Amino acid sequence: MIVYILKRLASIALTFTVVSVIVFLMMHAVPGGPFDGNDMPVSDEVKAKLNASLGLDRPLYVQYFKYMWGVLHFDFGVPFQSPGETVLELLGRAWPPSLILGGAGVLIGAPLGILLGMAAALRRNTWVDYLASAFATLGLTIPVFVTSMLLILVFAVWLDWLPASGWGKPYSWVLPIVAYATIPLATYARYTRSAMLDVLNKPFVTVLRAKGLSERRIIFQHVLRNAALPMVTVFLPMFIGTATGSIFVEAMFRVPGLGAYFVSSINLRDYALEMALILMITMMFCVSYLISDILYALLNPRIRTGGRRG
Amino acid sequence: MRLLDVVNLTVSFVQHEGVVQAVRGMTLHLDAGESLGIVGESGSGKSVTCMAALRLLREPPAKIAADRLDLGGVDVLAARGRDLAALRGRVAAMIFQDPMTAFDPSFTIGHQIVETIQAHRATAKAQARAEAEALLRRVEIKNAGGVLDAYPHQLSGGMLQRAMIAMALSCQPQVLFADEPTTALDVTIQAQILQLIKELQAEMGMGLIMVTHDLGVVAETVDRVLVMYGGRAMEQGPVQKIFDAPLHPYTQALLASIPGRVAGRQRLVEIAGASPNPANPPKGCPFHPRCAVAEARCGVEAPAFQTVTAGRDAACWRLQ
Amino acid sequence: MTAPALELRGISKVYPLRVPGGWLPRFSDHHAVRDVSLVLPRNRILGLVGESGSGKTTTGMMALRLVEPSAGRILVDGVDITAMDHAGLKPYRRRMQVVFQDSYSALDPMMTLAQIVAEPLHIHGLGSKPEQTEQALGWLARVGLDRSYGNRYPHELSGGQRQRVAIARALILRPSVLVADEPTSALDVSVKAQIINLLQDLQAEMGLSILFISHDLSVVRSLTDEVAVMFNGRIVEQAPTEAIFTDARHAYTRSLLDAVPVQNPRERRHRTFLTRAQLEAATPRLAQADLARPALSQAAPQLVAVGPDHWLEAVVT
Repeated sequence: MIVYILKRLASIALTFTVVSVIVFLMMHAVPGGPFDGNDMPVSDEVKAKLNASLGLDRPLYVQYFKYMWGVLHFDFGVPFQSPGETVLELLGRAWPPSLILGGAGVLIGAPLGILLGMAAALRRNTWVDYLASAFATLGLTIPVFVTSMLLILVFAVWLDWLPASGWGKPYSWVLPIVAYATIPLATYARYTRSAMLDVLNKPFVTVLRAKGLSERRIIFQHVLRNAALPMVTVFLPMFIGTATGSIFVEAMFRVPGLGAYFVSSINLRDYALEMALILMITMMFCVSYLISDILYALLNPRIRTGGRRG
Repeated sequence: MRLLDVVNLTVSFVQHEGVVQAVRGMTLHLDAGESLGIVGESGSGKSVTCMAALRLLREPPAKIAADRLDLGGVDVLAARGRDLAALRGRVAAMIFQDPMTAFDPSFTIGHQIVETIQAHRATAKAQARAEAEALLRRVEIKNAGGVLDAYPHQLSGGMLQRAMIAMALSCQPQVLFADEPTTALDVTIQAQILQLIKELQAEMGMGLIMVTHDLGVVAETVDRVLVMYGGRAMEQGPVQKIFDAPLHPYTQALLASIPGRVAGRQRLVEIAGASPNPANPPKGCPFHPRCAVAEARCGVEAPAFQTVTAGRDAACWRLQ
Repeated sequence: MTAPALELRGISKVYPLRVPGGWLPRFSDHHAVRDVSLVLPRNRILGLVGESGSGKTTTGMMALRLVEPSAGRILVDGVDITAMDHAGLKPYRRRMQVVFQDSYSALDPMMTLAQIVAEPLHIHGLGSKPEQTEQALGWLARVGLDRSYGNRYPHELSGGQRQRVAIARALILRPSVLVADEPTSALDVSVKAQIINLLQDLQAEMGLSILFISHDLSVVRSLTDEVAVMFNGRIVEQAPTEAIFTDARHAYTRSLLDAVPVQNPRERRHRTFLTRAQLEAATPRLAQADLARPALSQAAPQLVAVGPDHWLEAVVT
């Protein structure tokens, strides 16, 4: 197991390096630089000086190593669009709202979705199942900005219970979180249902019944345990992927989160911020995959115990 | 003592295409310590009959009806959740065709035997574990301690089938249903498992219901045979009598078509046609379209399953 | 003398087997088939029997070059096809066809039966489209399915009918060799005899040579002229079918025969079983005097003649 984890850590380091090189090269391969925008005309001479001061005139590999050296010391540089602060400070300011929105959305949506999926699987082909499935399908097919608008219309405009936008007191968080929670809720409901049904149709479930176990024990000990196996691999990456927040929900409710910076950093060729955001997401995905793979191995005796005996 | 008493059992499945009648009026019984072989082809309703006796079919889509369905003196059709669970494993246990898929892959063999014991008897874990190990040794597993801690994927099919038998016997059931227990196994392992089942049946005084498509398995293991076809009983009687002088044309044809009975390469006696489609069974006797001696009325009305001579029943117009 | 329809000379198959644990992947050799030689004469049915894992299916697949042998040679009609490339192999593929146990997964569910049966003609560019269809319908009739079945799809058929379709598709190219891998194992008892008879009839009519791979010794007894018994990837005994059933010499062959369920309850008996280790250690030891033909005295087991066409793996002292 320890060897396995060490191997995985080594592969993460490799993935991280490869991604950083590719992204770095791609960003620099796209024509144009930060001072080419039409809204801020700069003379070529000034541009050259600015480029030189930022090290943008050096060979690419030098720029790359210089950058990565900084990254290893938690120095991600300065964002062009907000030169008064470092990238790290900008993230520290803009990330918490995104994290609260995404995290709370998943923490509320995922368990509800799992419960809904379980209910649908255990009462399959009854109205419970049809209702849950219809709800999950709606949740997946209606774009989140439509859900957001509906929520604003009903709870902010008609009922006037909650503010339509902004990110102030916690009660202003409610609508964006609810809007966002529909995504994990619907996804997990569908996935849980199919994973549970898959296990319920396995022959060993009949054997468990035939030996006289109570239905409750069969469901909660055996079926859930086996259904959790495929669920783990999908849930964790999603969990962390969603924790970075949703660009659409943030835009609809004007949440001052990271969402806006994803778009602006690309449009404005804000290399430092762009790179930092991509590396951050890469790292989070790598770590979450590692955690889910370890969980998978812990839950699955085939991986945990290896070969035959007896 | 009558362990299993089934009168006029019907099992149907409601499906998109319509209602499929898997079992159409079966009557059978099993006494204590007796062994009964239920022989039939796929779709004959033999497995469904056993699953229905333990109420293991999902209802719906399955629909079970019977004039009587008693297991160990309990009316199975009237029993609910907790009563059924108490019946299963304790009064009647079951072993299945494919041992590779019969165990929960996430738990050890030991865990799965222990939980069976604890479901029926208040037993301390250490005690249950000791019992499980003794059971594994009884089914001739040499490394019983190791198998106790093994996961299903670590064991061979033959070993798993032994473990499944040990698990089924862990609560000393009065009846053991064995549903094609050796079909998925190699021929030498099959012989070992059949011999083991026979030994254990005699030793524990259990009733045994051996469900199989293989007349050889029947010839090896049981006292009495019930031949099924198209969801109905065709013939019933003592095993030796059935093999020596089958009454029903289907049984006769089945015995005649067994390959390898005589030396030398040769054509076999074959039964023309195909097994009936359970969704659209033929009118009258289900075997009449393939029967060499069918008469006009065979396609109109199904003959009753009735006594021909003492201890022998058959459903055929020619025998009425 | 004409060459045999199919001949395998010392073929082996070695699979790398991952050794668990360790930093870097390590592999050990798993010998699925070791040094197997077989001759399938023209107009004969040769049974290849053994338990799961004995290597019998791998041997059959290597004969068809559906699995590449690690060593040894494959001869079809006396021509070595072991190293032929795809184009060179194509005419020989026509002469060798295969029928599997599970014909359902081998039949394309989106094609009609006429299309399925005609497909080999199409692949080999034989005849016009109407001719291909006509031939296919003729073959459906020949395997006992009415011509009206031509427009049906595989899912509408029973197991026995699907196996008939698989046989028609295999034989439409008039091959000289048919490899049949457990073709009756998934069938109901009452249908099994039909398929065995169909194979018997077609074999006789067409002068086919069939390599019949099976674990079912009863079927093998009714269908084959000769039997080769495989154990642990090797042939341990080979003889005319009746000699195998009445005069088996190898402990493994005898244990297989002893395990076959009795045909009548009167023959019930208590059996004693040898463990796998005992069987592996049971290689017979023969003196030169026991041999029908002289062989080298050596410590390594070899196939030696012990009777007319009766071969046994033994240590010759």
